[in-house]
Amino acid sequence: MASAPPPSPVSSGRRPSPRIAQYKRTWFFLRRNTLALVGLGILIFLIAMALYALTLPIPWNQMDGYCGVHLPGCTYVCTTPPSPPGPNCYAVNQNFPSFIPPTLSTAGGTLTAGQLPLGSLSQTPYSQIYYNTLSGILRGADWSLVIAFSIVVSGALIGLMVGAIAGFWGGAVDEALMRLVDIFLSIPVILFVIITVSVFSQFTIPGLSPFSSRMLLLILAFIVVWWPFYARIVRGQVLVVREQKYVEAARASGAKKGRIVARHVIPNSVYPVFIQMSLDVGTVPLLVGALAFLGFNLFGLSSSEVLPEWGSLSAFSVNQFDAVFGACSVGVCVLPWWQILFPGLMLFLFAISVNFFADGLRDALDPRLRR
Amino acid sequence: MRMWVYVVRRVALLVPVIIGVMTITFLLVTALGPQQQLYSAFGPPPIHGTIHSYNPTIPCSEITPGANGTCANPLWNELAPKLGLNQPIFVQWGFYIYRSFTFQWGLVSNFSETQGPLSAFIHGQSVSTVLAQLLPYTLELAIFSLIIILAVAVPLGNLSAVYRNRPVDQASRVLSFSGFALPAFLLATLLVLAVVLVLGTSTLVHTPWCPGGETSYSEITGSWPTPLGCGAPGGGGPISNFYYPTWLTYGIVSHPTGFPTVDAMIHGNWWLAFDTILRMVLPAIVIAFGSIAILLRFVRNSMLEVMNLDFVRTARAKGVPESTVVKRHAGRNSLNVTITVLGLTFAFFIGGFPIIEDVFQLNGVGYILALSVLPGQEDFALIFGSTLLFTFLVVAANIIVDVLYAYLDPRVRLG
Repeated sequence: MASAPPPSPVSSGRRPSPRIAQYKRTWFFLRRNTLALVGLGILIFLIAMALYALTLPIPWNQMDGYCGVHLPGCTYVCTTPPSPPGPNCYAVNQNFPSFIPPTLSTAGGTLTAGQLPLGSLSQTPYSQIYYNTLSGILRGADWSLVIAFSIVVSGALIGLMVGAIAGFWGGAVDEALMRLVDIFLSIPVILFVIITVSVFSQFTIPGLSPFSSRMLLLILAFIVVWWPFYARIVRGQVLVVREQKYVEAARASGAKKGRIVARHVIPNSVYPVFIQMSLDVGTVPLLVGALAFLGFNLFGLSSSEVLPEWGSLSAFSVNQFDAVFGACSVGVCVLPWWQILFPGLMLFLFAISVNFFADGLRDALDPRLRR
Repeated sequence: MRMWVYVVRRVALLVPVIIGVMTITFLLVTALGPQQQLYSAFGPPPIHGTIHSYNPTIPCSEITPGANGTCANPLWNELAPKLGLNQPIFVQWGFYIYRSFTFQWGLVSNFSETQGPLSAFIHGQSVSTVLAQLLPYTLELAIFSLIIILAVAVPLGNLSAVYRNRPVDQASRVLSFSGFALPAFLLATLLVLAVVLVLGTSTLVHTPWCPGGETSYSEITGSWPTPLGCGAPGGGGPISNFYYPTWLTYGIVSHPTGFPTVDAMIHGNWWLAFDTILRMVLPAIVIAFGSIAILLRFVRNSMLEVMNLDFVRTARAKGVPESTVVKRHAGRNSLNVTITVLGLTFAFFIGGFPIIEDVFQLNGVGYILALSVLPGQEDFALIFGSTLLFTFLVVAANIIVDVLYAYLDPRVRLG
């Protein structure tokens, strides 16, 4: 911190508590890191997108759909509802602000490359229903962010508690908890989720719809295998913190163990957790996409539906791409690049924004890395 | 001598971890119910061929035609004690752990025709036999991609530390971020597409490196079902190529090691060896990408820290050339970091295999796992078998890392 002095946290009056002052200091250093600000900007944009998607006039788990638009060389027949309005069975949901120009020509029942507007149509793999890519991406912001944040936040909370207990109590408790952590860390995350989901997809949680039950199951499976990473980080941190003078002082003044852990140890060990969380949150949609890619019916939907979630959309597009590609090698055909590009781009933006932000956070929190 | 003690102690510490993993899979298997366990262990039952024939009680009419009421199932009475299913759960757990350690992982029993031509050959076989035949493919790919990781991440990490905030550093940063942010299946598809676009669609039909060798789209991606590579007799057909490992179709009749590349070299079939390696290039790059992203950062950061330490300054002060300082004094440290990080992220690394082997259709353990989890056609014996195998790989990698680390750093084994 060479050029500018840290800003005075409060202009006048009482001094804030040291922790508040530290948050302000962190923000001060974060503010000077361009990449971190870019990351934060993208993240805020994505969250705004998710909030906007809540106001869309289409059902909460659906995308704007089209049916039966034919790509040259790929002769698909429209069978699933909505039923086709005409011989070319082209239907547009009027409720949704679409990129598709109203004068779209479907002469001869086919669309040619030049007539496909950017970001317009994508196709779900099993049903020949085309969905509007923009609506899928907007709606996907909801699901991706909710799934990612709920998994990472719950995993971090559990890991924080377990790590703090293990680190602070030590002895047999520490040994037992850390062996448990070792066990979970030696199962690859995705494998654990694969076996859990494939076992429990045989059952439905009573009282819940198949969709909610599967969604809950997926999130729980991730949490179960995610907390050990945080537990290990927190334990390492707590082992350092518990030897500090202020912890000794708290103990000397007669504070109970629970109070020391909750008020002194945990608040001073959370920073590495924040960094790890912001890295992990971008990984979750990629893993969900990988699961969807393997062909799991992750959300208990019928074969003609795809949950508008970036990972799933991307996976389905890639799968679909293979089929279209195969069909197109016969004749001349449009490569539907947009349906791969846009969901993939959203995944990329999300992951990269949290990565930039995490890097900036690390720089701001670690005095050795500051320049 | 001290080294041996250290290694034995590390291995002994990992036994509880393996038992713990088996306990988790045991809990999941138990959640499936005893019928599914019997089905996985002994295959489709003779009465109806369905899982319900393993019920403890069945309609008497299924035993003697025309009878009424429900009777005890003789099949259950015969087979359930073999898994300890008629005993308390702790005993069942003991049976399970014993069977897991002795590789009695059940039979391939639900692998239907739609899951690929493999099914005709592996149906009814022991899971551990099948996995043992597939493991060399996965190991070969893993070793190949580890080589790529080491060859890219370590030099690039060192370079970006030395040329901090210069173009090399920025480029490696972009590479690192992309590795975090691109889904592997997407990257794999894009790479295949790039190969097709660059080399032209003719690569879809011909392999230019084989005189007259005809192949298909899946050839680039190294597929199972199509006849492979140079001189593959067309009459072999997809299925015989499938389970009977590919070298049989090249006139190689024995496979001493099980590793395709090594076997081809032993037999002096260099075209086949080249073909097998070529087949691994794209998948290995994709698998390596994620790990490179992680490793780059750690190597760079540790290098930056080391460059500020006293012994580096001393070396510089006494006039050692800068390149030697970087290579011999500071760079030596990145070896330790590499090994540690690879050990810590090995589970992440190995977790990418099901997806990559699925995309490229490589006949390894990951592909069989990806095929056996298809909804409605789950083969739980295979699912749990390959999960255990992958976990064994992670644990084995941890042991290797510990040993290497102790070898490189005397403080670890002597402290």
